[in-house]
Amino acid sequence: MASSSSSGLTFKLHPLVIVNISDHYTRVKSQLSLPPSLTSTSSAATSNNNNNNSNGGENNQNPPPRVYGCVIGVQRGRTVEIFNSFELIYDPSTRSLDRSFLEKKQELYKKVFPHFYVLGWYSTGSDAQESDMHFHKALMDINESPLYVLLNPAINPAQKDLPVTIYESELHVIDGVPQLIFVRSSYTIETVEAERISVDHVAHLKPSGGSAATQLAAQLTGIHSAIKMLNSRIRVLHQYLVGMQKGICPFLVIVVQIKFSWNYVNI
Amino acid sequence: MDSAIAQKTWELENNILTVETPDPSSDSIFYYDEAAQAKFQQEKPWANDPHYFKRVKISALALLKMVVHARSGGTIEVMGLMQGKTDGDAIIVMDAFALPVEGTETRVNAQADAYEYMVDYSQTNKQAGRLENVVGWYHSHPGYGCWLSGIDVSTQMLNQQFQEPFLAVVIDPTRTVSAGKVEIGAFRTYPEGYKPPDDPISEYQTIPLNKIEDFGVHCKQYYALDITYFKSSLDCHLLDLLWNKYWVNTLSSSPLLGNGDYVAGQISDLAEKLEQAENQLAHSRIGPLGPPRKKLQEESQLAKITRDSAKITVEQVHGLMSQVIKDILFNSVRQSSRSQNDQSGPEPMIET
Repeated sequence: MASSSSSGLTFKLHPLVIVNISDHYTRVKSQLSLPPSLTSTSSAATSNNNNNNSNGGENNQNPPPRVYGCVIGVQRGRTVEIFNSFELIYDPSTRSLDRSFLEKKQELYKKVFPHFYVLGWYSTGSDAQESDMHFHKALMDINESPLYVLLNPAINPAQKDLPVTIYESELHVIDGVPQLIFVRSSYTIETVEAERISVDHVAHLKPSGGSAATQLAAQLTGIHSAIKMLNSRIRVLHQYLVGMQKGICPFLVIVVQIKFSWNYVNI
Repeated sequence: MDSAIAQKTWELENNILTVETPDPSSDSIFYYDEAAQAKFQQEKPWANDPHYFKRVKISALALLKMVVHARSGGTIEVMGLMQGKTDGDAIIVMDAFALPVEGTETRVNAQADAYEYMVDYSQTNKQAGRLENVVGWYHSHPGYGCWLSGIDVSTQMLNQQFQEPFLAVVIDPTRTVSAGKVEIGAFRTYPEGYKPPDDPISEYQTIPLNKIEDFGVHCKQYYALDITYFKSSLDCHLLDLLWNKYWVNTLSSSPLLGNGDYVAGQISDLAEKLEQAENQLAHSRIGPLGPPRKKLQEESQLAKITRDSAKITVEQVHGLMSQVIKDILFNSVRQSSRSQNDQSGPEPMIET
């Protein structure tokens, strides 16, 4: 169902959206399953039909709950930048979207972030499904071509890539019937300096304060890890090129897009 | 072996708790226990002890939201509310949201305007599954440090009378960007007339001259709480993976360029302080029986100025260092001795 996007739009995703969705999912999941410290007698009170564990701890045999929400941001020309998101109320069994809630939330967010508008919606899961199209169509009256951001909450330690995919919808003619299908799009992570520092702070739990020496050490460690990443990436490219030279690897036109800011070369 | 010892020393110095990758059961912090919270509300253990709450735990999401909102205000102060719960002597902040009010420094009653927004937002949140209550407010002090001004102190005292438990958080987005670490402070005020038993030594921060009076008058009326951060297991996982794409931004960031105005402001402020110190010195020379006390004060003022200038220098040096590293990495054309098994450290790129 997913092929590469042809609409030519570039997508920029802010880390805040990713943390937002993850938090929404964690909240819903932990509210449904009681923490292990509480007794099992109160597990009957959780009226969720998914959860039938008496311990109430892990619910790995039950399908994890899906959460739904809206993503907001701006679109300037061909660039779509997703800044923020908020939750929505959607009932998948009746396929009804709570309109008044959506409108209310939109109003509230407009007051604080007047430049942002609804760009699409998000959900959690491993793959885009047919039923998602209903939600997608429901949003089409707010934004005629909404985005679908899908986050895969399964924690897989072998994963190397961010489990976030952005889908657009395209009209394709299948068996003579025009249908809307999801097509995958690529995106980049965009950030402002303040966001980067706080993400860094939380991700690596760096010490705040302390002597000048520790601050220096922290900053240099950050730069060092970034340079190591650059080094490993270039090494991969180099190996591939050597392989091509030897005839092992097939010839490919490698478009190396080094999108660093102008700071680099000019200084 | 040396490096291992050095790392251990550094970790000890900075009280770093190596948190093992949290397993899903530690996500229990996200669970909201309505009954326990209601019970805590009724008991009110803080009523007897003004120093009851000692720690604050802020979630990754709340921190990110607050810093982004504070930065988006630019040089205008912005404010918002925080939602969460309490846990013994700690206040836990799970989420934060912005309020459509600006410029709190001149209006004591800013919160009255925002009440309708707050009620609406809390209602919609409860519907969407976020059950926590408002536990505090945050606002930004762009460029002048994390402390409570006179108006902030009176607002917070009012809050602590009627909306307990309540916390005040201040964020400085300008200093965050300039220093490369998050500038944030969490405070609670003492009730009127209460004298704190001891004087807690807080971390020194430089205050601009035009605000220093406001700071000095009120700094004894509140105390700072320890801040720690937490994140869920999914957050951990996602942030780790995010690094795969994020390292580009780390390398390309340049703190020197973004904060030119702020640095200029800091230097001019430093110049004013120096002038003031010089004037004081001139005055103390006039009286022949100049009390020795004044000289001592003079010393400590000069010492403060030295510390301020050292801080500015350190930040500039950091910025310059990253530029120099990048220059060596990308701009220099050098032949380096290449061995088949390259070491893991970074080396300059070879251009032929």
